[in-house]
Amino acid sequence: MARKSSRSLSGLLAVGLGVWVILAAFPFLWMAIISVRVPVDAFSVPPQLLAPFTLENYYELWVVDQFYVKFFNSAIVTLGVLCVSLSIGCLAGYALSRYEGNLGFWLLMVALVFRALPHSTLLPGYQLAFAELGIWNRYETLIIVLVAINQPFTIWMLRSFFANIPKDLDEAALVDGCTRTGAFFRVIVPVMWPGIVTTGLFSFLLAYNDFLISSQLMNADKQTMTAALSAYINADDDAYKLMQGIAGAVSVTIPLIFLVLFFQRQLVSGLVQGAVKG
Amino acid sequence: MRLKTLIGFVLPSVVAMILLIALPLVGVIGLSLWNSYTKTEMVRVEQSTPTGKIIRTQPRPVLDETGKPVKVWEFYGLKNFLSVLDVDGMERAFAADRSTNPVTGAPQSWPERMGGVWGDIANLSFWGALSFTLIYTAITTPLVLIFGFLIALGVHAVVKPLKGPLIFASLLPFVITPVVGALSIKWLFLDNAVITVMLQSLGFGKIYFLQNAFTTGFLVILYGLWHVVPFAFIVLYAGLQTVPQDAVEAAVVDGASRWQSVRYVIMPHLAPLFSFVTLIHIMDAYRVFEPILVFSAGQGASSLQYLTYYLLNGEQNFHKASAAALLTVVGILLLLIPLILRTWRTHREGA
Repeated sequence: MARKSSRSLSGLLAVGLGVWVILAAFPFLWMAIISVRVPVDAFSVPPQLLAPFTLENYYELWVVDQFYVKFFNSAIVTLGVLCVSLSIGCLAGYALSRYEGNLGFWLLMVALVFRALPHSTLLPGYQLAFAELGIWNRYETLIIVLVAINQPFTIWMLRSFFANIPKDLDEAALVDGCTRTGAFFRVIVPVMWPGIVTTGLFSFLLAYNDFLISSQLMNADKQTMTAALSAYINADDDAYKLMQGIAGAVSVTIPLIFLVLFFQRQLVSGLVQGAVKG
Repeated sequence: MRLKTLIGFVLPSVVAMILLIALPLVGVIGLSLWNSYTKTEMVRVEQSTPTGKIIRTQPRPVLDETGKPVKVWEFYGLKNFLSVLDVDGMERAFAADRSTNPVTGAPQSWPERMGGVWGDIANLSFWGALSFTLIYTAITTPLVLIFGFLIALGVHAVVKPLKGPLIFASLLPFVITPVVGALSIKWLFLDNAVITVMLQSLGFGKIYFLQNAFTTGFLVILYGLWHVVPFAFIVLYAGLQTVPQDAVEAAVVDGASRWQSVRYVIMPHLAPLFSFVTLIHIMDAYRVFEPILVFSAGQGASSLQYLTYYLLNGEQNFHKASAAALLTVVGILLLLIPLILRTWRTHREGA
């Protein structure tokens, strides 16, 4: 009796997990499949599993529409955000993990509120200020805005990583005559890389995936890949444009697939870190 | 660590947040209390047309010495807020005569009249956004927890070589660019796309998913689940690794069924993680944006974040957009203040 119920349970388990994997992956698979078809085959009735292969959509998008420009924009913005955000976030996160007074607590709480803020709330302010200052449509502007929006999360995450590094380590260095800054660079920096990598992954995702801010602050020639997709959101009536949009969406997805492939463990540990300390 | 050292270390980060989060918020408060427009004057213009000359007057922006259009600022007080909250529309919704059905003319019962008031209010953009956000949160939160927990239990029980691929497949919908994720689902539900066509051939009839309010709302919710369930799964799965095995075995020895050991041993152990996932999900549900832009452009399903975006880009009124933004901030504060106060109490006791 017991064995029978356990066998039917494992059958249920296999079916359930199978259904979940299909649900999770199907939108990606189908998007990739139809991106290498001509429009008639991509949206044929009835849908076809096999259809003639073509790279026409990718050619149109990358070569004719110069999507590579958006790729470089994405690379510049994402790398810029990553470097600045981690540098200033490390300093703050370290200090907050070692300071015990109330100021540190309230800084973290304000950061929590900032982290929960929908990004659109800041846009009217940016529109006014950046137009007045004449710094609209510049890489530096977008990078520093994304860094600032990213900071609350970065600080929280790095702080919890630093909190796991024993205090004795840097205190021993202080006793030996190091300054705080010296202790940070000589003792903490060499052992903090796992935390940096994990936090960096999430900073990367935030900058790379951002649509709202990037599409609002940059004009067409400086748009990131993600923001450039806005041109294809309502292209359902124009079959060729729609197909380019699909090729674009697949292009944006590919780096993320590699990211998960190489950094699966760090991504999981980052999510868990947030849960345990958050 | 001394206060001075702390300040030195956090300075760059804090300056960035003050300049680009706190100051813009202050600016938004200012914008929401004022109104501005470009000063115009009426000028007479002569136009030659094939039938002769026409003289007409038309508005033209007034320019200052430097050649820039002159902007007029006017203090508006709470008017922008009242216009976002659509107080007039609310009054009309409540004042309308609902004793009979407007179409059939049949007398209406009280529940029907209440439904009419609710329907009219939900048609106003702010209240529509708020009500969809509430519906979205109420439907997705329990489903995210349930599906996330079931998948976590499943992956926990599966043989080791399968765990990696399962986690890989689950992470994809979570890390995907939200616009891309929403588009990839939209492309399954276009009028001649694969799922719509398959549903039709299965006898469900032709469903125009993107044409009506109910189905677009459904798609936004579907996308939300697809995107967030993996997060709940990963967190709960990690939690399952920390459940003490002896406790589970002891429960089984004591005669607990599989369900009982899940319900009375595992779930209490994971309780903090359930509330963590709930909190994060409610915060995210409050700022849903991309799927609404992708699926419906605000018809049928909307959010406060989308409303601000629309006021800014569609109506081009950044004073009204600022008012909507501030109302959103109030909501976030209401959500977070109890949590912050609780953390403050534990912090003080710990110190």
